[in-house]
Amino acid sequence: MSAERETRLLMISPSSMLTPDQLVRMVHSFGLTVTVKETCYGCLIEASAETAREVLSRVRERYPNEVFSKVRAYRCSDPVRCRAQHGTRPGYAQLEEEWSLLPRIQHGLEEVEKGAKYVPPAEKKRIPVNDFKKICEAQR
Amino acid sequence: MKVFIDPPNSLVLYDLVERFGHQPLSAMAAIQERVDNLEVDMPPMNVSLDDVVKGLKYAGVEVPSGIRGRLALWGPMIEEADAAIIMDDCPYSFGCVGCERSNLMVKYLIKRRGIPALHVSYPEDDEQATNFVAQTKEFLEGLQ
Repeated sequence: MSAERETRLLMISPSSMLTPDQLVRMVHSFGLTVTVKETCYGCLIEASAETAREVLSRVRERYPNEVFSKVRAYRCSDPVRCRAQHGTRPGYAQLEEEWSLLPRIQHGLEEVEKGAKYVPPAEKKRIPVNDFKKICEAQR
Repeated sequence: MKVFIDPPNSLVLYDLVERFGHQPLSAMAAIQERVDNLEVDMPPMNVSLDDVVKGLKYAGVEVPSGIRGRLALWGPMIEEADAAIIMDDCPYSFGCVGCERSNLMVKYLIKRRGIPALHVSYPEDDEQATNFVAQTKEFLEGLQ
């Protein structure tokens, strides 16, 4: 990945009380050289790789399990993607799907912080023939 | 360590891998290289004709060009990866939709490389999500 430019997407979990506006104001308040764009799900930040990670770590200090992040291939307001400039507008199918998953992940992270461990799910076994017969007879 | 994530555009997996101290290998990084260096100027197409030719290394010529194009992005990352996390049983619209064959090829390439790979299920409720996060954390912390 380019060390010069890193565009990051910060997404707020739907179960958080944090709003995109608050998040953007917080990022601005860090006073770092970063471009911030408010979006419906959180914000986009664009800066050098080092600064972008600095922003992320500071946001995580404050909201460790409520804000999720990944890099974005295109720049903020890239003319070939941005709706405002009649980009390709491919939609947000994946982001929408993950946005709805975030409350569960947030819950999982909180539980793991409290000390929850991985419990392997119970192995599914085949039902014995006699039990199956009883079920079938009960349904007659 | 470099950890390949499948689906390669997943926010949740990318975030967790980074959170637990490893470098995620994702589709976004591969596309960024092309956007920054090769000037891909025809989105939503993120690959060039050369990429489709490079994809021949991972899939035969009779395979549709869409699969070869995807594998041209993901194949080098799988070769570069030290470990992988794969999410199974995802809903239809989760991950790179449109080509199940590409996803199967990715799983096959990971298996063929023999790197440590964690298969996790898509969490349907809070209990499964806790299990998912705990399992991912244990796997990532165990990578040396």
